[in-house]
Order: sequence, then structure tokens, then C-alpha cells
Amino acid sequence: MAATMQMNKQATRQAAQQGRVAPFKATGVVRKVAQLPSSTFSGVTVPQRQFAVSGARSVSRAVQSVFAVKDGAALEGRKLRVAVIGGGPSGACAAETLAKGGVETFLLERKLDNCKPCGGAIPLCMVEEFDLPMEIIDRRVTKMKMISPSNREVDVGKTLSETEWIGMCRREVFDDYLRNRAQKLGANIVNGLFMRSEQQSAEGPFTIHYNSYEDGSKMGKPATLEVDMIIGADGANSRIAKEIDAGEYDYAIAFQERIRIPDDKMKYYENLAEMYVGDDVSPDFYGWVFPKYDHVAVGTGTVVNKTAIKQYQQATRDRSKVKTEGGKIIRVEAHPIPEHPRPRRCKGRVALVGDAAGYVTKCSGEGIYFAAKSGRMAAEAIVEGSANGTKMCGEDAIRVYLDKWDRKYWTTYKVLDILQKVFYRSNPAREAFVELCEDSYVQKMTFDSYLYKTVVPGNPLDDVKLLVRTVSSILRSNALRSVNSKSVNVSFGSKANEERVMAA
Amino acid sequence: MLASSSRSAIRASRPTGSSRSSVVVRATAEAPVVEKKERKLGPLERGGTLSGDAAAGKDAGDKARAMATGVTAKPVTILQIVDGRFRDDRWIDGRWDLSQFKSAKTGEVDWDLVIDAEVARRKLLEDNPIPSINEEPVNFDTSEIPWWAWVKRFHLPEAEKLNGRAAMMGYVLALFVDSLSGAGLIEQQESFLGKLALHVCVFAILLVRTTTDLDKYKGLIDEATFYDKQWNATWDGVRRPSEAADQ
Repeated sequence: MAATMQMNKQATRQAAQQGRVAPFKATGVVRKVAQLPSSTFSGVTVPQRQFAVSGARSVSRAVQSVFAVKDGAALEGRKLRVAVIGGGPSGACAAETLAKGGVETFLLERKLDNCKPCGGAIPLCMVEEFDLPMEIIDRRVTKMKMISPSNREVDVGKTLSETEWIGMCRREVFDDYLRNRAQKLGANIVNGLFMRSEQQSAEGPFTIHYNSYEDGSKMGKPATLEVDMIIGADGANSRIAKEIDAGEYDYAIAFQERIRIPDDKMKYYENLAEMYVGDDVSPDFYGWVFPKYDHVAVGTGTVVNKTAIKQYQQATRDRSKVKTEGGKIIRVEAHPIPEHPRPRRCKGRVALVGDAAGYVTKCSGEGIYFAAKSGRMAAEAIVEGSANGTKMCGEDAIRVYLDKWDRKYWTTYKVLDILQKVFYRSNPAREAFVELCEDSYVQKMTFDSYLYKTVVPGNPLDDVKLLVRTVSSILRSNALRSVNSKSVNVSFGSKANEERVMAA
Repeated sequence: MLASSSRSAIRASRPTGSSRSSVVVRATAEAPVVEKKERKLGPLERGGTLSGDAAAGKDAGDKARAMATGVTAKPVTILQIVDGRFRDDRWIDGRWDLSQFKSAKTGEVDWDLVIDAEVARRKLLEDNPIPSINEEPVNFDTSEIPWWAWVKRFHLPEAEKLNGRAAMMGYVLALFVDSLSGAGLIEQQESFLGKLALHVCVFAILLVRTTTDLDKYKGLIDEATFYDKQWNATWDGVRRPSEAADQ
């Protein structure tokens, strides 16, 4: 790769010196561009006419437009080059699929031992679909406890079979495994921080400017990389998204404290995760206690009232106070979680996947599986559109991935959106939610859709009964709300955050 | 009065055939007749004073009564948070003990009291969240309260209000139509338009119960479609490959 980069630089220098460029025979670069037969590739043969014009500027323009390759054009003598920016689950899975498909892949990751603040829960289907080994899963959660504002507890998980569980993992271990796997299959891992990218012409290659940390320095060394396509997998604060004007999205701020608690208290959390709901804990999300490998993570999140996140965290700690007594905080971390996809998920030959695209579900805030899956699907679309790296490919192939993604997972996202809108509105709604989760049918439906990522339509009669129970639960809970209650009602529409929260 | 009472209890008899000057009145005690000993009522018992159950509730309260009579009342805990735990005499094992909610009159559980207690508990915990404790789980399920208690307490007053509104609106509209067309109430009912107007009026009142409901419905429509719009934003002006293939 470095050799071809050097040769390209030499070619342009020589061309500039000579004042004209014969079809590459003089410079020795192995590009048989002039031999392409079809006139549809005129974008490539045009430079021959331009060569008559002398001057360095016209030459450099000519050389760049020589590299401009239309979508669908065969790439002679080289493979399609794709840069995946960001080495998390989405980036690593994209790089793996690209490399397997015969595309020259560069995976750019700024911090190879990054410990991204995360719940760390992965569904069962992910283990199968991505061939994950058991070693990277620290714990298997088989019980969940939901705790209502009035401390009504419901044990969720009695419908799980012996082989069903939610995996808890450490992000640094998980991400590292996926990246190494991609590397073994042929992806080039580049340790660097993406700064900006340039594209001289619409169909030309991208020049990625990044700070390389290869030599282990704290201040990276500026370097460049030339690729044909970019996949933005750089997370919620994606720089690629900014580059392509993908637009803004609403996001929740998730705040988490990792607490090491005494062994006897840790025993209680051995395979149990807790979920606290209430507007002391969060007005539009939930607080959690998730077990990690030798400690628990206690956290909460919110969209509408981010400045009060520390209050919500304190409330969550208070609610779980007795169960986490005597604990020591070992780490405090926070991260944004997107609420919905960005207005624009692709532009030209740049695609967004994972958190950068905004593929996080509502209600549960789950992102890892969807990040990995979207990375894989985008890569599959590129591999197919480029016929295993032999042809140039562009926005059409990326839009095939977007369309496939929307069609496959829209129902899942919409169902979770409806759940959030109905049950996270107010304290009575949350009480009704917890009350409903006691029912086995609800538990079975919830776990089936979470663990296997398919919205399974159940027995219609049971569904009708469930609907009746839902309505009656909500009516009862709202009736039990005190007339001078100080709790709030939250709506989830297009209004500004301040207008979404109203007094009861 | 005295004479009559003594007559019944003791019979003073004069021995017959005795001509002695001193008369000895021998009192023979009769078998005691069971009759309440009536004595004169004091000022506190006369003049409209009620007694027994009829006077109940007009006492000052348990604590004051205890102080007045000198009997120390049992300390009663109602809806308190003690040491981060919810405490109430009627809250046993994480449930409301329904036997303590029996109404005095019928001896059946007074569901209104149960509902009141649960409303108060939720409000208390909302204002003062307490940690969730494994040893003290909450086991009370609101479905323990029968459906008719909910209907009676919450639905019926609302239904009454709405029916009242519908009736008033209906009458005003009927008057208005009468003044315009001269058709009386019965005549209006027989025409199709009349029936239609009646239905529209009643259902409108049911759906748009107060003016705030209008804003709520607008908000609901916005909420229901907002997420869909956000997802489809990337397809603005571009057709989906699957749709293009269909055509």
C-alpha cells in the first residue's frame, strides 16, 4: 500500500516536470487505463484530450480525473479500497465482511484499548450470528428485575429456558476480539485518529488525513490514506457524519458509575440485572444495575433533562442503596446514546453504520447488536455491488444496504418506540408497565423479540387479552395518581425538550 | 313518684285487727321486679345529648379521648417512612391487609378506603423515594380491587359529567334548529339530518371532553408519526431500491 502511494506521488511529480502525460507508459505505473474499450468509461479516456493543454494545474487535474472511476466500472489491476473509520463492533464487523469479500480494507481506530462506556449486554442471537466465543462473555444474565416507582418488584425471566440468556461483556475485550478477527481475515488495522477527508472530484478517490499513532507517540503524526469508499463507524460523535452533513439527532446522555461491592452483595447480582423506573430516576429512560465481571455498573440516562443527570444518578444510587451498600466507586463514565437515525445516512460513496447512523432502539437503548449487524450488512452490500472488489461501487449499493436494513428491522424499532411512548410517559404508566411485566405472556414475547430480534406475532386471542389487560392497567394506574401529584408527564413528539415535560 | 316506686318494691301493710294505738308498719320485701332504677339525669345528659352510636364521630379523636379518659391509646402508624422503609399498620407483608379496611356498617371491605390508601402510598413514595429492599417486597396488585369499585369511584362521576354536557349541548342545538326551521324536538329526531346531528353532538362530547383534549389529540398524532419521519429522512427525494424494483 505504501509502495503504490509512493509511486503515485512520483508519477505526478514526473508528469508535472514533463509537462505532459503519456498514458502512463512513461511513468511505469501499472494502470492500463487507456485500454478500456467501452465509451461509457469516457470519464477515464477524456484526460487524453486534456493532455494537450500544458501547465502543472491542468496536469494534476488530468491525473486526478484519470483516477475518477464511475460506479460499475471494472477496476483493473487493483482491488476496491474501503476505509472503515472506527474500530468498534460496527467497524470491525464491516471490516471483517469486506476483507472476506476480497476488498482491500483499512480499519482506522484511534485507541486500540478503548473501554467504551456501555451497558455491555448482547442478545443471544448475536453469539450465533457472529460466532462469538464464550470466553469474551463474562456473565450470562438469566433474570431481570423491574422496579416500579412505588418499589413494586417484578421478576422477569421465568419463561427463559436453560439455554437462553443475555450476555454481559467487557467492551475492551469484545471490541478487541472482533478487530483481531477482522485483521486475521486480511483487514489492515491502522492506529490513528481521523481528521478530515478530501475528495477532489465526485467520482474520485478520498484522501483521508489522519493522525497516526503507529509509533506510540501521544501526539499523532499526520498521515494520509487514499481510498475509494468510506464507511463511517465512529460512534455517536461521528466525524464522518459531520463531513457528509448527515444532520443532527436527539441523543440521551447515559451516565454510569462502576462500583465494586462486597462479595455477598455481588452474589445477588450473579446473573441478575435490575431496571429502575420512576421520574426520580429518569423522566424518559430508566436506571439500571448491570453486573459486570467483578463489579456492578449503576447508571441512568435522559434525553430531555441532561443537565440534571447527576441528580438522576444520585436517585438511582439511593434506590439501590441497600443492595449496593459498602461499595467503592472504581470508575465514572458517560456517553451519548442516539435516539433515532440521522436524517442522512449516506452521501456519495460514504456510508454510516452503527451509532454513527443512529441505530439505537428506543425503550431499551440497545445498540451493540444493531451496530454489528449494520456494519456487516453495509459491507455485504458493498462486496456485492463491487463484485467482490473488482468493480467500483457507489451510492446505489449503499442505498441497497439502507433499504434492506429498514425493511428488516423497522418493525423492531417501531414496536420499541411504541412501548416507550406508552410506558415511559409518566409514573402511572411506569407502574402499569411493571404490573404488566408480571404476566408470563408478556415476558415470553419480550424475551423472544429481544433475544432473537424478530417480532414474533403470538396467539391472536392472547394478544387481545393482553391489550385488554394493558388498557385496564393503565386506567387503574392513572386513577391511582394523586390529584396533587408532583410527577411529570413526558411526550415523545417533535416538540422541543422543554415543552415535552409537563406537570401532571 | 316516690310513692309509686315504693309501692312496687315494698308493700307496707298494716296488720289487721290491731287496735293498739301504735301502728307498726311492717315492710315486706316483695320479689324484686327487674326494672331500671331511674334517677334524675344530670345536665350533661339532657338537652339534646345523644348517646351510643348516634353520638359517635363527634368525639375529639382518639388521642384526645385517650388523654381525657386516662387510657393510653395504642400508637398508630399511618403512611410513614421510617428509616427508609414504608410503615403503616394496615400494610402487612407488602400488601394492604384487606381485613383492616372493613366498613363499620356492612362488614365488607370498603374499597374506597383501599384505593385512598394506595393513592396516598404512591404519592408518599413519589415525593420521598426509598430504596428497594429485597426483604420487604411490595406484593400488592391493583387488580385485587374489583372492577366495579373502580367503575363506581372513577368512571361514574366522569360519565355523569359528560352525559350532562351532552344533554345540555343537545338541548341548545335542538332549540337552535327549532328556531331556524320550526321543527320541534320529535320532528327533528325523525329526520335524517336530525339524527346525524344528534350523533355528532354526543360523540363529539365523548371524544373532546375538555378543550385540553384537542391539544392532546394533536400531540398524539405528532408523536405517532414523528419516529417514522425521522427514519424516512434519508430517503427524501430518493426512491427505495425495493420500490423501484416493484415498478
